[in-house]
Amino acid sequence: MVRRVKALVVGSGPAGLTGAIAIAESLGDGKDVVIIDEGIEPGGQLPKQTHKFFGHEGFYASVRGFEIGNLLVKKVKSLGVEIIQQATVTGIYEDVITVYDRVNNIVNEYLADYLLIATGATEKFLAFKNNTLPGVYGAGAVQTLMNQYRVLPGQSFLIVGAGNIGLIVAYQLVQAGAKVKAIVEASSRVGGYAVHANKVKRLGIPILLKHTILEAIGNDKVQGAVVAEVDERFKPVPGTEKEFVVDAICLAVGLQPNVELVAQTGAKLVYIPELGGYVPLRNENMRTTVHNVFVAGDMSGIEEATTAMIEGYIAGYNIAQELTGKSFEEKIEKMKKELEEFRRGPFSKKVRDGLKKMGIVFPEGGYREEQQVDKGPIGKLRAVIECPQAIPCNPCETSCPTGAINVGWNINSIPQIDYTKCIGCGVCVMKCPGLAIFMVQEKDEYSLVGIPYELLPIPDNGMKVKLLDREGKDVADGEVDHVVLNNKGKTHVVFLRVPKGYEDVVRSFRIPAKSDEFICRCEEITKEDIERVIDMGITDYEELRRVLRIGMGPCGGKTCRTLTLQILSEKTGRPISEIELGAYRPPTMPTPFEAVIKSELTEKSEISGSIQGGVKDE
Amino acid sequence: MSEVKKYDVCIIGGGITGTALGYFLCKLGKTSIAIFEKSYLSSGSTGRCAGGIRQQWSTRPNVRLAMRSVKLFERFKEDVGMDIEYKQGGYLVLSYSEEEAEQFEKNVKMQREEGLNVEILTPKQVSERYPYINTEGLVMATFCQTDGHANPHKAVIGYAQAIRRMGGHIYTHTEVKNIDVANGKVIGIDTTAGYFACDVVVNASGPWSNEVSKLVGVDLLTESYRHQILVTEPLENFFPMMAISFSGNFYMRQTLHGQFIMGQGDKDEKPGLNFNVTYKFEKELANKMVRIFPFLKNVRIIRHWSGMYNMSPDAQPIIGASEKVKGYYYAVGYSGHGFMVAPAVGEALAELIVFGKTLHTDLSYLDIKRFEGQVSEREKNVV
Amino acid sequence: MRIKEHPILSVPSEKTYLTFYFEGQTVYATSEDTIASALIANGFDVFGFTEHNHPRGFFCAIGKCSACLVEVDGIPNVRACITPVREGMHVRMQVGRGKPKW
Repeated sequence: MVRRVKALVVGSGPAGLTGAIAIAESLGDGKDVVIIDEGIEPGGQLPKQTHKFFGHEGFYASVRGFEIGNLLVKKVKSLGVEIIQQATVTGIYEDVITVYDRVNNIVNEYLADYLLIATGATEKFLAFKNNTLPGVYGAGAVQTLMNQYRVLPGQSFLIVGAGNIGLIVAYQLVQAGAKVKAIVEASSRVGGYAVHANKVKRLGIPILLKHTILEAIGNDKVQGAVVAEVDERFKPVPGTEKEFVVDAICLAVGLQPNVELVAQTGAKLVYIPELGGYVPLRNENMRTTVHNVFVAGDMSGIEEATTAMIEGYIAGYNIAQELTGKSFEEKIEKMKKELEEFRRGPFSKKVRDGLKKMGIVFPEGGYREEQQVDKGPIGKLRAVIECPQAIPCNPCETSCPTGAINVGWNINSIPQIDYTKCIGCGVCVMKCPGLAIFMVQEKDEYSLVGIPYELLPIPDNGMKVKLLDREGKDVADGEVDHVVLNNKGKTHVVFLRVPKGYEDVVRSFRIPAKSDEFICRCEEITKEDIERVIDMGITDYEELRRVLRIGMGPCGGKTCRTLTLQILSEKTGRPISEIELGAYRPPTMPTPFEAVIKSELTEKSEISGSIQGGVKDE
Repeated sequence: MSEVKKYDVCIIGGGITGTALGYFLCKLGKTSIAIFEKSYLSSGSTGRCAGGIRQQWSTRPNVRLAMRSVKLFERFKEDVGMDIEYKQGGYLVLSYSEEEAEQFEKNVKMQREEGLNVEILTPKQVSERYPYINTEGLVMATFCQTDGHANPHKAVIGYAQAIRRMGGHIYTHTEVKNIDVANGKVIGIDTTAGYFACDVVVNASGPWSNEVSKLVGVDLLTESYRHQILVTEPLENFFPMMAISFSGNFYMRQTLHGQFIMGQGDKDEKPGLNFNVTYKFEKELANKMVRIFPFLKNVRIIRHWSGMYNMSPDAQPIIGASEKVKGYYYAVGYSGHGFMVAPAVGEALAELIVFGKTLHTDLSYLDIKRFEGQVSEREKNVV
Repeated sequence: MRIKEHPILSVPSEKTYLTFYFEGQTVYATSEDTIASALIANGFDVFGFTEHNHPRGFFCAIGKCSACLVEVDGIPNVRACITPVREGMHVRMQVGRGKPKW
């Protein structure tokens, strides 16, 4: 039986979702629009993105990717559109469109008046020795595992590729608790945004430019990697080999559009390297050479989720026009203007060049490029923006409660702060998707530097830390003055006390590694933990026990009691004999309930209402 | 601290009641306070209790007191500065008697009127939601998601640290020898750390409430009864709520660290300050709990201790200002449920002491006067 | 290994586990796992061997690259990364090409 729909959308990523929203909204009802998606969860790449998006408020700036995914899916479902997951559009045949439903293991047949193909992209592979060893993963795969399944496929990583994906995944790996040993990039420049690179650099992760990976080492799985410098022709320079001990290698070497399906429609493909390789030839309205086949998103040209969303709307409203016969020119023009604004910046040059080859022209420039020179009045708590590149992004401007930050009509412009209006509230620090805004205040004995913080653990006030510069190098000792928590947005601000003169230097910190001298094995409490709590004023063995849980594990204190009393004695100066010993309680060996039940009962207990118990009234 | 010879308020007892009260007094600006604790902080009932926090009470004023406490527990970490592992995992109250089930339906109606979101569950629904519970003999259950549990030791230490930060004093390993009264008014307190002049003395001494009250010749009508409790080795967390039954006589929860804490009451227990433990308790509890929670069969008990319920004649707290001795206040007789109401009591009693009246929660129904021939509702929901 | 705490994402503290079998060993999975995520979480990085005896794991995690092929309940060539775990499944390493089952 063939199912007939008005619009079949392939892919439930950002482009597919907005396309479906546009069509369903315009039709007034979503029942004739169906989205087919291969994945287990809808949203395409969105559910894996834990970082905040750029752009402007109208397109979810400063909202985390997975939240945007949830919002779009909710919207699309509320319009009555059906999303079928775990199903792949396998073929556009002469007679029907086939959809392989993996859940029911059945192929279903469809016919559609219009197709919106938004099948996104796949990761490129890379050739090097042993590159199929388990432990070599695509960066997107690592993201999927970490952020969707909460599983880490390794403990220490090497990342290949310093584009946005490589930089973002490096940061997300640290957030998930892994170590990143290095990022290697074959070209001489970092391909991704400087703010993403800066986040990673100030954590101490080296970005090795003009380096590539030669070999993955290991028998059954990755145990290490060999990298080397490359020359201008990207050939490895002998003698520059370096080995890293890692248990996972993450490839982030570019994306290629998934054009298999659109090719089957008969639409013409063209080879445009700036857009990622072979892409369908299409016009400004996202229509291919086949009149009822539209495309949107990364499949039509590797770019970003935001532009994917806008293209989805453009394609969707165009399809809606044809289906209803009504005009949606206004909406389409509005979206095209948005796209134009987004593509004016320097990072969109590749896309602009690529589109020009198809005869589609996007203007560039029109934004302010100069960095602000005025760093504000000394001594006042204020924000300092370190946004070195023109990227389409303006949440700093829209979130500032006093209107002190200006980006302007062209959101690619570098922001400027009017320090007569800045009240030092720090909201911009929490909102900036690039984590590129800092707080600074010069005080008498020291200075304060507030940094945006999205890691664990959240440090305690007074914690002694090592202060790091923008390159992640130790520059001084300092301490945490206080932490402003943002439990809703999850970007907290950690205020550090830095030596005077270091306000322009310190941009990060690290908590010195613990000594890990274990006293309590069951609860993994170290000597340092115990001494720290004693310093807080807790000097009673029983109180110490209750705060730290020493002795509350299965061994009942056999390992830790004596050691703890010794530490207490050393720290307080009281001899052990004068320190109150904690109580000893049965059982001395953990006893299973089953063994207790087998003892003869003195009274039989039964349930079902016959139990007398509880507190008796007099 | 040795130079101080006078305090505005002296609190006897370093458990959750004493420290909560001390905290709220300091917050209201009354920082000239001292807490006297004869052993270590939380050495009384607080340091031995299971840490449950519930709002599903059978009388309206108790529900209100508990709801106010929950509001304060929710903000504990921000306000007091200590993470007390507070979790709103819910309370599943299981009923094994038709009579009790009828009473529960009435209670739920009243609780909902007070704004509490409580569900009534059939045995089948309990089974579906909690497949690891054996529902044989179960008549019905009620569930309130905002009920929960926390770590009582950390709560006491959290309050204590905050009190010290705000300038209050805490004397541990210090016994109160006498309370000095002149012309029917409190004027001082004599302790093993010296004599201190004061205007107000608060009896928050839990199990020793009546022994301490004898120092001023006031009978608080409280008696202490031993309750036993045990804890198991840790398992992966899967049991989010406190499971409790009055008709079934048991309670159990899984702590943040994976251990199961459980206990039951003993109708044959005599009043007295007995801190020993009996194997009989383990046998009875083991048989009952393994039948209801079969996964416990191979789980091991690692520690078994006891604590006191300071009981009042109607199982509700006795809180108020003494009419016989001016300046003498008491917050005792919690009958095993002191931890869960402590923040609201601490707040209200501090207000009573500083302003002469409570602002957030009414405590008047808990005054000892209610036992003088007055009719008082008996709180039925206690284990 | 499973992530226990995360600065942005919520990690549920109570989990219910299913069990399935990999090469005869019991593996604990949650109801959200795919075969691949459960294997990785339990420390199994090698999913099989190629025809030339090279060990294989997974690569793209979205069902495109065919690195992660395993045998499930006798059926070969199953993509572990897009197949949700079912209670009691028997998963085996696929060595070389799949063996037919009839």
